[in-house]
Amino acid sequence: MYEAKIVINKKEAENIYLLGIEIPKNVLKKFQPGQFLKIKINQRMDPLIPRPFTVHAIEENVVYILYQIVGKGTKSLSKLRKGEILEFLGPLGKPFPKLKNYVICAGGIGIAGFGFLLQKSVNKKIFYSPEMIFYGAKTKEELVRLSFLKRFGIPVKISTDDGSKGYKGIVTDMIEEEFKKDPRTVLACGPKPMLKRVAEIGKKYKAKTYLVMETFLACGTGFCMGCVIPLKRKKHAHLCIDGPTFLAEEIDFEFLS
Amino acid sequence: MLASGTWGLGENLDKFFTLKEIKENIGALVTKGISVNPRKGNPPPRTFETPCGLINSIGIENPGIKEFKRNYLPKIKSYGVPVIVNLYGEEVEEFLELSQELKGEADGLELNISCPNVKKGGLFFSYDSKTVSKLVKKVREIWKDFLAVKLSPVGPVYEIAEICEKYGADTVVVANTYPALAVLEFKPLKVLQGGLSGPAIKPLTLRLVYDISKKIKISVIGCGGIVSGKDALEYLLCGAKAFQVGTANLIDPRAPIKIIKELRSLTDGLCSKSASC
Ligand SMILES: Cc1cc2nc3c(=O)[nH]c(=O)nc-3n(C[C@H](O)[C@H](O)[C@H](O)COP(=O)(O)OP(=O)(O)OC[C@H]3O[C@@H](n4cnc5c(N)ncnc54)[C@H](O)[C@@H]3O)c2cc1C
Ligand SMILES: Cc1cc2nc3c(=O)[nH]c(=O)nc-3n(C[C@H](O)[C@H](O)[C@H](O)COP(=O)(O)O)c2cc1C
Ligand code: FES
Repeated sequence: MYEAKIVINKKEAENIYLLGIEIPKNVLKKFQPGQFLKIKINQRMDPLIPRPFTVHAIEENVVYILYQIVGKGTKSLSKLRKGEILEFLGPLGKPFPKLKNYVICAGGIGIAGFGFLLQKSVNKKIFYSPEMIFYGAKTKEELVRLSFLKRFGIPVKISTDDGSKGYKGIVTDMIEEEFKKDPRTVLACGPKPMLKRVAEIGKKYKAKTYLVMETFLACGTGFCMGCVIPLKRKKHAHLCIDGPTFLAEEIDFEFLS
Repeated sequence: MLASGTWGLGENLDKFFTLKEIKENIGALVTKGISVNPRKGNPPPRTFETPCGLINSIGIENPGIKEFKRNYLPKIKSYGVPVIVNLYGEEVEEFLELSQELKGEADGLELNISCPNVKKGGLFFSYDSKTVSKLVKKVREIWKDFLAVKLSPVGPVYEIAEICEKYGADTVVVANTYPALAVLEFKPLKVLQGGLSGPAIKPLTLRLVYDISKKIKISVIGCGGIVSGKDALEYLLCGAKAFQVGTANLIDPRAPIKIIKELRSLTDGLCSKSASC
């Protein structure tokens, strides 16, 4: 693990925070969109296990993480202040696949990892920009980083469950409407029910579907073999080394806890 | 030593250490549990965090002895420190077959007796001193090199330790994880049964090490919840001749180096205070 200084830890919405940590340039160079790092939240032993977060953006020598408070680790993280030191390890996991002519689907905090993809697609060297971003949240208040996302000139289609902004309903309904006209490759990150639905839509419209998966990670380094993602073929995958992004058609949702 | 199951199958240890660091800080590598046939392991979830601890139920996912020898062991050996292969068997014969397969291939064996014995209706070896006597005696007939038995912390632990000594084991590793359970969902009740490791178990295992090292003459290797140099020193002072680090590797792959560094500075401090070392 390496030490990093917190330069920002700012509330973006109720329970959603943006954390920026200063990372040495030689480590920073290694990060690619879709990869994650694990953060040891404090030096005490509870929580014992560092928590994984996808890289949201990189600017100069700062890595940004967008996170939602869901339990004790993220709660303690939100209490840390500018200037404090935390420990991290990364980059971990595989980058997003290099896609062309695709759309992004994000539900809630699932938007986090796509900021860095947009940044890295600007020069079209390795990663290409999505043609459209579908972004859904429960309410208008929970839609975060919109001005950052809009900077890249890509259409952002919004949905909220309560209709407080954009389409009223779930994000996958918007995708289905779009795919009726023009099905395309989709890269999706969000809660499990959303991912399942994206997989169904992808299958129905014969669109290649990639899902960014989540499990509890005890190590993130391939050491414990705890992070299994059941696949339809015989051998299962390990999220932290083979993922977190997987082809939807390969995942065996029935055995996913 | 790096404890079994907490550093993968060695594929990417060199991502986190230089060879020099491994040689200078790690006394031996104890592999993941290896069985005769490949094992897929358990369905998810396999791990659950508890206060200061971790419950795991990996299910000894491993490629089986043949593929392990072909595709993994060469890389593990290339790290240049003694390699101890941890054996998982569900009957005595499987342990014997594994020992036979590894002759001349490894520096030592570590018998995991926290396995269910299918011939005894799934009763854990660690509860059955008669079968453990037979197991250690028969493996010893085949395996002349370093032989460790990794005790379970539950069952007739002291009796089993004495049996290991009697039938020729070189050392006992004290100990494996503690049987534990986590509630995943309330209604309907969904639980995860597995083994508890990490700092939460340290005081329990430390007690076992203290007591067992007084009862037997062969060496005791301490293993349970070591995350700092101070933890390691406590094990050594309580009778362990060496120690293994497990869960700490999951938290930070470079933990072993940190632990050794801290231990060295602590022992330097101790030595300068007493004339006898
Ligand atoms: C590769 C990857 C990237 C991620 N990126 C981001 C990101 O960019 N932003 C973000 O906000 N989050 C991200 N996450 C999720 C984030 O890691 C978790 O939200 C965080 O670890 C929760 O920690 P906590 O201590 O706050 O919650 P915890 O207290 O650990 O628990 C959170 C919730 O999960 C449940 N839970 C915990 N462990 C288990 C288990 N083993 N089985 C079943 N349920 C369990 C708890 O009951 C609770 O409801 C990512 C996860 C992965 C795997
Ligand atoms: C994820 C995981 C996998 C493990 N796999 C094995 C195994 O295959 N065989 C074995 O004998 N012990 C296994 N163990 C037990 C450890 O080697 C060690 O004995 C135990 O975790 C206690 O030490 P610790 O508290 O330092 O982790 C495993 C432990 C963990 C956490
Ligand atoms: S989290 Fe340990 S192997 Fe993936």
